[in-house]
Amino acid sequence: MPPSLRSAEDDLGAALRRLEPRTPYAEVMAEMVEGRSVRFDKAQITPTPAPRLRGAVFRAWSGHRWEEAACGELTPSALTTTTEALARRLAARGSSGAPPGESPTGSHEAATREKKPVADFTLEDQIGRARQLYEWGISEPGIENAIVAVGVSRDERLFLATTGARTYQRIGRVRAFVTPLAIENGKVEFDFESLGGTGGVEVIDGFTEEKVRSVAKESKALLKAGAPPTGAMNVLLDPGTAGTFAHESFGHGTEADQFLRDRSYLKPILGKTVGPEALTLVDDGSYPGAWGSIFFDDEGHPSQRTVLVDHGRFVNVLHDRETAAAMHRAPTGNTRRADFLSRPFVRMTNTFVEPGDWTFDELLEEAKSGVVLQSCTSGIEDPLGGNMQIKVKKGHLIEHGKLGPIVPSLALSGKVLEFLQAIRGIGSKSAFEMAPGYCGKGHTDLLPVSTGGSYVLSHAVVGPA
Amino acid sequence: MTSPGGGAATAFDVADRIRGKTASPWDVYGERIRRFEIHLNGSEIEMVRGPVAFEGFGLRLIAPRNGGVGVGFAASSDRTPEGVDATLAAATGVSQHASFPAKRVEFTGSGAPGTADLDLVDRALWEDPVRTLESFSEKLLEAAGSTPGVEPSFGSIRGTLAEVTYANSAGAHSGYSHTLVELEVAVKASGGAEGAPPGEYWVNSRARHLDSRKLVDEARSWATKAEDARHAKAPPNGKLKVVFPASVLSEILPVALGFRMSGSAELRKMTPTPGTQVAADAVTVVDDGLLPGAVATAPHDDEGTPQRRGSLVDAGKSGETLYDLLHAEAAGRRTTGNGRREQPATPAWFRFVSPPSPAATTLSIRSGGGGSDAEMIEATGDGIWLDQLGWAFPDPVSTAFGGEIRLGYRIRNGKLAEPLRGGTVGGVILTQPSEMSFLKAVTAVGGVPSLIGNLHSPTLLVSNVDVAGA
Repeated sequence: MPPSLRSAEDDLGAALRRLEPRTPYAEVMAEMVEGRSVRFDKAQITPTPAPRLRGAVFRAWSGHRWEEAACGELTPSALTTTTEALARRLAARGSSGAPPGESPTGSHEAATREKKPVADFTLEDQIGRARQLYEWGISEPGIENAIVAVGVSRDERLFLATTGARTYQRIGRVRAFVTPLAIENGKVEFDFESLGGTGGVEVIDGFTEEKVRSVAKESKALLKAGAPPTGAMNVLLDPGTAGTFAHESFGHGTEADQFLRDRSYLKPILGKTVGPEALTLVDDGSYPGAWGSIFFDDEGHPSQRTVLVDHGRFVNVLHDRETAAAMHRAPTGNTRRADFLSRPFVRMTNTFVEPGDWTFDELLEEAKSGVVLQSCTSGIEDPLGGNMQIKVKKGHLIEHGKLGPIVPSLALSGKVLEFLQAIRGIGSKSAFEMAPGYCGKGHTDLLPVSTGGSYVLSHAVVGPA
Repeated sequence: MTSPGGGAATAFDVADRIRGKTASPWDVYGERIRRFEIHLNGSEIEMVRGPVAFEGFGLRLIAPRNGGVGVGFAASSDRTPEGVDATLAAATGVSQHASFPAKRVEFTGSGAPGTADLDLVDRALWEDPVRTLESFSEKLLEAAGSTPGVEPSFGSIRGTLAEVTYANSAGAHSGYSHTLVELEVAVKASGGAEGAPPGEYWVNSRARHLDSRKLVDEARSWATKAEDARHAKAPPNGKLKVVFPASVLSEILPVALGFRMSGSAELRKMTPTPGTQVAADAVTVVDDGLLPGAVATAPHDDEGTPQRRGSLVDAGKSGETLYDLLHAEAAGRRTTGNGRREQPATPAWFRFVSPPSPAATTLSIRSGGGGSDAEMIEATGDGIWLDQLGWAFPDPVSTAFGGEIRLGYRIRNGKLAEPLRGGTVGGVILTQPSEMSFLKAVTAVGGVPSLIGNLHSPTLLVSNVDVAGA
């Protein structure tokens, strides 16, 4: 363990023990983040070390609810000030009774494996990699600029509980994206590609010249693209868009805190069939190398694979200790804090659609007409209403069962359950991809997640976005 | 708790430590934060958080490099002498690999104006944050639950107390305090004999103050909208007249115009030529860094330049470009006081972790002759009132925006009719001179502005908007 967290462990333990007279259970999560990013384009080169942030958040059960306090230092005085403030509040609340759910036990450590260690990736190497992606981007005629970013980070978390539980994890993440810009007479367009995951620099080895030039060609094509289609039609979601559907449109409704709030459209149909036999949706925080992977959640429980929809049947939801207790299940390792400044919620990790057995050409032929949605940019949940919104940077029309012309920015809309029931085919394993991204709980608390899958053919409303 | 304007010396202490240790011009932006949060679960308080105490600084230095400059930036929460030295070393290190096309950049030592008229602090929140938030939460829960069949389902009220300090190598030395309140609440309508599924209205806002005076009226409005969401239908398909209130425009315009009218976009040849027709003649947009009570209002920007008002769009024609120090220097212009550290990917409640870049403060759209919302609806005749989009967030490069209608209303014969939900609305804010755009298609500007987040605007009536529906 690096000196910063190791040297603070005794102080953190002592601070935690000061809470014990006031609460039946308390825990602390200490964190240190470091890393470096490089942004590169025609106008400027901007290398930036990640902010050197460290701190700790204490959580204690007050007898009827959780109370928290946090500090941005790991010095004994800062930890004492923080726990004293929390202890005063606990005293005023009159704590009694154990918190709901299963308290963690045992001591565990884990760290990301890096085939190409980030420690050997110098700033010069990082700028060189960014420059290479930039040059591939602008090598396409008509593309004068490309915005590139290459980032590495390491997030260390130490969790201690008054039960004696202790987990330590060190997670390295590497990410790169390239955005070739096409500009003509005041109009600006772009397509983009992004790779990211946990591990070392090998994570971004998949960026090839062929891939970047292909993205640059699409940026240029978008300048001349016609209007996007409007209305209800066949839609073929690319792997990134299918993953965003799995996460935003379905996954948020499986976070069990929304069940306890009666705020999930999925609550009445747990155990029921929601889609075709070919449909399996998974959240897997232990997925090797994925951007959203963690070893332990922020309640000290190990991450795991949880099948949400098993061959069409909605079978499981995601839990923290409180929701697991309320629903008589075990915690699923999905309690996550964005950082030591943020509260824990039930959150997803890596959420994806398991591949089926259709080829891309077979799916196009099945659709006959419609649109392929590609280069997903965002989605937002509607956990109670069960509607969906997913936005993509581009699409291609499907005409007579073949891939047609490119069209610009689109939004997908409709009822999630109707979309699931209208699924007519899921692409094969060869097209399976996981994409890095960030997810909020509501409008705040962004943390890293992956979304993925293969192609998914269904029917929905699309329009410009 | 420190009183507003007193005590914090984050940037000053760092400046004292680094003065004389580097030959390059430098500046330091510091923040001392205390944050308190109340989280709601149904009609109960689920969690109380705070203090979340956090203090840190961002250190920037600007070194000559290859005919331009290398900008080195590093941020840290480690304010020990060793931590400051390490941060200076990190900033110095990256400056030797960075490049920016400005000949030289010099900071100034001028002081910033006072904060007396800017209305930056919620005094009650500052004096007693937990009690003030709990009291507000109780009123909110009572108001949100006062309509039969309607109850709150999820939410949080987060109050941030911040002390900003700024110093630079030219001797600038300034500071101010501000508060930020973030409110997120969802209310659910259910029950009744007709068996309609539950409906939800989800509110998300940022402001300087907790204001419980309007809670009862607002909660009644949320309850009505949650109930309307239960019975809403998809909109029609086609090009329609759509009325956009400030609450929807606030998600679209500051992001799109804020980037495309900035020095950063200019450096990449994305800004419209000055004087180009980018909007209808009725549209005038001012970037107003001094609007009292707005979340982007401050005496100076995040690199010490006094904030001000500047015209971005004047009677439909593109106007000024927004600059920070670096981009102004690259363009041979003067900074406009728009060096801002707030970034889309970082939390809104602390900013020291990011270097400044040019961005809008509060966009203020000049009121027009369209009158009240009722008059705007009457003038629409047949169309849609858009109350809420799922997430309109535009892509700032192409300025395309759009999203699912979470709640809207059909306008028939100049009056609001049935509620709408589902389908999409979209468009492009800025296009080529020869093409129609969202701003060029504005046909009426209302007369009653509202301040929502980073936008102060009346409602806009826009024609020929693409609506995808049933």
